[in-house]
Amino acid sequence: MAEELRPVKGTSLWKDAWKRLLKNKLAVFGMIVVCFMVIAVLIGPPIVEWSTGFAYDTIPANGDLVRSFPPSMLHPMGTDDQGRDVLARVLLGGRISLMVGIISTIVSLIVGVSYGAIAGYLGKGIDNVMMRIVDMMYAVPYILIVIVLLSLFSGNNAPGFIQYLVKLFGGGAGLSQIFLLFFALGLVSWLTMSRIVRGQIMSLKNQEFVMAAKATGVSTPKIIFKHLVPNTLGLVIVYATLTVPSVMLTEAFLSFLGLGVQAPFASWGSLAADGIKNIAIYPWQLIFPGVTMALTLFSLNFLGDGLRDALDPQMRKV
Amino acid sequence: MLRFILKRLLIIIPMALIVVSVTWALVRFAPGTFYSSEKQLPAAVEANIRKKYGLDKPLIEQYLMMMGNITCRTKAADETTTTGLQFSIGSANFKCFDFGDSLKYEGQSVNEILWRTVPVSATLGILAYLLALAIGITAGTIAALRQNTAIDYSSMAISMLGISMPNFVLGPILVLIFSLYLYWFPPARWDGVLGVSNLVLPVLTLSAVYAAYIARLTRAGMLEVLRSDYIRTARAKGLSEWHVVTRHALRGGLMPVISFTGPALAQLLAGTVVVEKIFALPGMGNVFIQSIFNRDEPLTLGVVAFLSIITLLFNLLVDIGYAFLDPRIRYD
Repeated sequence: MAEELRPVKGTSLWKDAWKRLLKNKLAVFGMIVVCFMVIAVLIGPPIVEWSTGFAYDTIPANGDLVRSFPPSMLHPMGTDDQGRDVLARVLLGGRISLMVGIISTIVSLIVGVSYGAIAGYLGKGIDNVMMRIVDMMYAVPYILIVIVLLSLFSGNNAPGFIQYLVKLFGGGAGLSQIFLLFFALGLVSWLTMSRIVRGQIMSLKNQEFVMAAKATGVSTPKIIFKHLVPNTLGLVIVYATLTVPSVMLTEAFLSFLGLGVQAPFASWGSLAADGIKNIAIYPWQLIFPGVTMALTLFSLNFLGDGLRDALDPQMRKV
Repeated sequence: MLRFILKRLLIIIPMALIVVSVTWALVRFAPGTFYSSEKQLPAAVEANIRKKYGLDKPLIEQYLMMMGNITCRTKAADETTTTGLQFSIGSANFKCFDFGDSLKYEGQSVNEILWRTVPVSATLGILAYLLALAIGITAGTIAALRQNTAIDYSSMAISMLGISMPNFVLGPILVLIFSLYLYWFPPARWDGVLGVSNLVLPVLTLSAVYAAYIARLTRAGMLEVLRSDYIRTARAKGLSEWHVVTRHALRGGLMPVISFTGPALAQLLAGTVVVEKIFALPGMGNVFIQSIFNRDEPLTLGVVAFLSIITLLFNLLVDIGYAFLDPRIRYD
């Protein structure tokens, strides 16, 4: 008897990738930790404030409490020099660190993808010039560029959209510095992305579908952004996931040098930088933010690795 | 091959000059100057300072003067400076590679500061990279040979931890354990290149992330090579496993590591700043960061020129290294 013929249900590229990703235990672990961190930094601060009465910048009114206490029931991560709750500060720092990671990555994505796509598609002389500019930017120390951007646009010199964002979040100068940092970091971390996209576009642009688009009179910008860029999406997502931890590390490095997030705000980097000063006496001031940060970066890196294996089996180094 | 090396060596010069020019423009773009720190200076004093350092001249003239100093120019008869390379051809006196005096560290020339600080950073960087190579290649090779076993997974997880751990967290934790509890190594001191016990912690801190990257790159490269035909041939000939791995597989499997080495070494030289700060070492990274904060233009330019030349040179060395490891690559 012939079996009943059922139509085969096709699976999309994305479904396939999702299945492969779920098979990778470390990537799943990374995904869970990242989700947990995101939820924790979103709902954590109000919960801590409600249960202990400490916001990230609450300095106890009682003078005897204005010093660093080791972890206790009330303060699971201890308190810092000014008696502020470290847990509340780590949660706020996480908010800012993760936002740095995500927003800067989006900025670098927009710049890097369009730059790489334009260079790759136009080719020849334009490509040559554009890529030599990238080469040079690799050689100029990025920290110099960040410092120049930060000091050029600080305070009232901030571009209009940043001032608008600051108003939207109802904050003062400290907030403007943080938003500026997002964009400055994004503007120095698009180089690798542009190279990758360029390579991908160069191998795609001679395929039939592009020729068909050209033959039907589609305009060049539309070919680049409607026909070619979507085809690089898998690769772009992979590198975006790996850019997030690297940008977060850069922010931490800048905060360590005193350039990043300013008090009373905090990021994991600035918390760790503050903690280093007291490492011998109050090690919890360094260890909790440091380990939280390392764990998050660890998970993001594993997630990125897993995504690469899942989305791009060819690139996969077995 | 020789022509290729020569050509690339010649390209380094204009590339480095462009990088220095861009840096100069960036420093000039940044608001604030080296003399305006806390209080507003009287206008007359400011004008005097600007005149002394030639800041009152047109920008293009300042730029050309700076370029002349850091490359080569003829020496004026009344000049007494002795920094840089000085020589004479016939009756004309020439002066090269003079980066001028630091604006913040008075009485010290940039050349002097570089001579003093570069060996510190170089020692740290080179030792850290050698250690990273030793650990990374060993771990990566073993992981590749035992693919999908517990050894493989654990060494890759540890290496991911190394990549994710910021070195300003790792460094203090090492200090906490080895200096403050165990009393094995001093937490901060510089005893010169031979002060072994002072070098242990900084070198360990610095090498962790590179060892981790190298382990992952080696594993990936080795996995690809180990299943290629020539390895099967080598095994079929009856060579010992040790011989197959060390003589045949490693040569091809290390290609990704080689291409990582160029940028990594350059980055190491510049990126020792965190370690220098934590362990209070008198290296170049710290001087560089301070020079940017202080708007100490000559010092910034000196370090950038040095670093860009080193970066470009390392990239050239990497390309030459390819040709030696992979006989299929030819540069003509």
